[in-house]
Amino acid sequence: MDQKEILKNLSMAIMEGDEDKAKEYAHEVLRSQIDPLKAVEQGLSKGMIILGGRFEKGEIFLPDLLIAADAFNSAVEILKPAMEAQKKQVAKAGKILIGTVNGDVHGIGKNIVAIILEANGFEVVDIGVDNPSLKFVEEAEKVKADVIGLSSLMTTTMPSQKEVIDILKEMNLRQKYFVIIGGGPVTKEWADKIGADGYAGSAFQAVEVVKKLLDQKRAAD
Amino acid sequence: MINFLEVYERALKGPIMSEKDFDMKVFIPRLKNVVKAYGIQYDKETPVPSDDKAADNLYKAAVDFLSQVGVYCQNTNRIIQFTLKEILEAVREAPGKCFVGEGKEAGVFSMRKPDERKVPWLHVGSGIVTTSEEVATNKIEGYASIAELNSISIPALDSIRGIPVLAGSPAELYAAIRGVKVGREALKRAGRPGLPIMNLISTAAAAVTTIAASAPQFGLRPTDGWLCGAISEMKIDFGTMNKVAYLLNWGANIGAETSPILGGYCGGAAGTAVVSTAYILMGLLVQKGNYQLSFPIHFKYGCCTTRDVLWTVSASCQAASRNIPMPVIWLGYMAGGPNTKMYFYEAAAYLLCVVASGAPSVQTPHPAKAVKIDGFTPMECKFGVDMAKAASQVNRQQANGLVSRLMEKYESQIETAPSGSRYQDCYDVVSGKPGEDYVRLYDEVREELARVGIPLT
Repeated sequence: MDQKEILKNLSMAIMEGDEDKAKEYAHEVLRSQIDPLKAVEQGLSKGMIILGGRFEKGEIFLPDLLIAADAFNSAVEILKPAMEAQKKQVAKAGKILIGTVNGDVHGIGKNIVAIILEANGFEVVDIGVDNPSLKFVEEAEKVKADVIGLSSLMTTTMPSQKEVIDILKEMNLRQKYFVIIGGGPVTKEWADKIGADGYAGSAFQAVEVVKKLLDQKRAAD
Repeated sequence: MINFLEVYERALKGPIMSEKDFDMKVFIPRLKNVVKAYGIQYDKETPVPSDDKAADNLYKAAVDFLSQVGVYCQNTNRIIQFTLKEILEAVREAPGKCFVGEGKEAGVFSMRKPDERKVPWLHVGSGIVTTSEEVATNKIEGYASIAELNSISIPALDSIRGIPVLAGSPAELYAAIRGVKVGREALKRAGRPGLPIMNLISTAAAAVTTIAASAPQFGLRPTDGWLCGAISEMKIDFGTMNKVAYLLNWGANIGAETSPILGGYCGGAAGTAVVSTAYILMGLLVQKGNYQLSFPIHFKYGCCTTRDVLWTVSASCQAASRNIPMPVIWLGYMAGGPNTKMYFYEAAAYLLCVVASGAPSVQTPHPAKAVKIDGFTPMECKFGVDMAKAASQVNRQQANGLVSRLMEKYESQIETAPSGSRYQDCYDVVSGKPGEDYVRLYDEVREELARVGIPLT
């Protein structure tokens, strides 16, 4: 099996959500002494991005994506020691801390955003649902996030999105993070009103918004 | 039937696992297996199927699924499990009716079968957030002016004395109590104080708020109805369980609220139909519901009027109506907002679909995905009642043809649906009357729908 074929098989294993095959081809990468970073970027990640596109079109659903993500992570675990030995790591497009705001236990929409961001090369730290506002700030500081993503599915939990932004201002940390918001009742108008940096109506919009914000930052730096 | 304390004990003693493992290792694979084993198949050409055997097969799949998966308790990280025998016993013992309302508004909310010509229980209104007590009062009076309605939902308030309502906060508690008082007062003003309010407590997200605002001195009665929601998918928490414990002790009506998400953990239409049906069994067993509020929605569009969600609703409604004696209110979220033709096309399609499929009750379809503040008016309520009556005159096959024709009018616009007008923009806030433009649009749409063949009188 040549390099091209192995990379293609890695992509296929991810698209089929076949964890066993993903692991098998990851071992094949090591045996064939293919650059493990290349295997992640041109094999595994490529499969996830294609799958993400199919998800957006409604051709597949969340379970398919989750199963593929598990296969992806299992294969990366096999390749990781080789990458570390070569002092290489997968270049991440940015780090996003994401969670559902205080008083809100709805997590599915947030989970979809997290997985699509990961599929597009972002490092995602998911802190789950019903998070006190201060926790977003503390965790963002701890993990050195670039972006804070705030999800809310209820009108009565939307004020917590504003509260996180207010806390960032009070702690003189507002300039340190981009804040993006989303969720069923959330609108662009609300995002503008509370001073969020971005609004995403879907997981794919979230990817676009985060990319745009981080690109602007890099250009400014 | 297993009593609620035993359900709680199972939440303490059931198999322990992380929530992610429940999703990935229990819910997703077992749902896939059940869909395959029972041969559940989505037919995109038939939004309203009419195969009784398929409906009964879906019911059996849902029973099997619930017995294999159980319900995950988020507080204890344990699975509340039920045997096949216990599930079937709950079905056998379910009364299939719910006693609500007071005085001349007292009534029995009971079952319907697919193709039955009985008019469904007409549940009117919504809990969609409103920005002032004045608007809330006007709206409720507007709903209550519809003679045929059987029960009502009242709006949630978004602030109290200008302070925004934050979930679980003292402001929420103040607003919830105020909202209940406003609701009952508005019904008195409308001359129908006995009407059951069945979306309690609309302003409350936290269990403590629900329980506090339910104290009888604020105007509520056990013959009203309280919504106790499951968490998607097949999960529950102590917040909901606390509400159930309180209401059971009071003897008040419990509405088991469930919203399976098509495209989420359920996967496509076939899986979502199984889960949608299983939720009604969960409502009997876990929330101890006297009635159910069910609204499957699409993960991407946030509405119920896509082709696959309509099929899901129709299939699970038929499975439940034929086999589970639980009076269910079927609620649809429309993509289009108030004062748009799109809303009425969608609402007509949804109501035809669900009424012909045997819905015991329908609620006014909610405009603009139920998220537009002040985005709900009595006009949609009036249409919902008339349309539900018309839909009860057609069978599933006829409904399927009509729904397909209506879908031609709106299906391509779901992603870019107009969010429509706020109450204040299309109603006179002082008189509570609709504006001329909205009346004109409403009349035009009714005529158009009649031409399509819908028996609107």
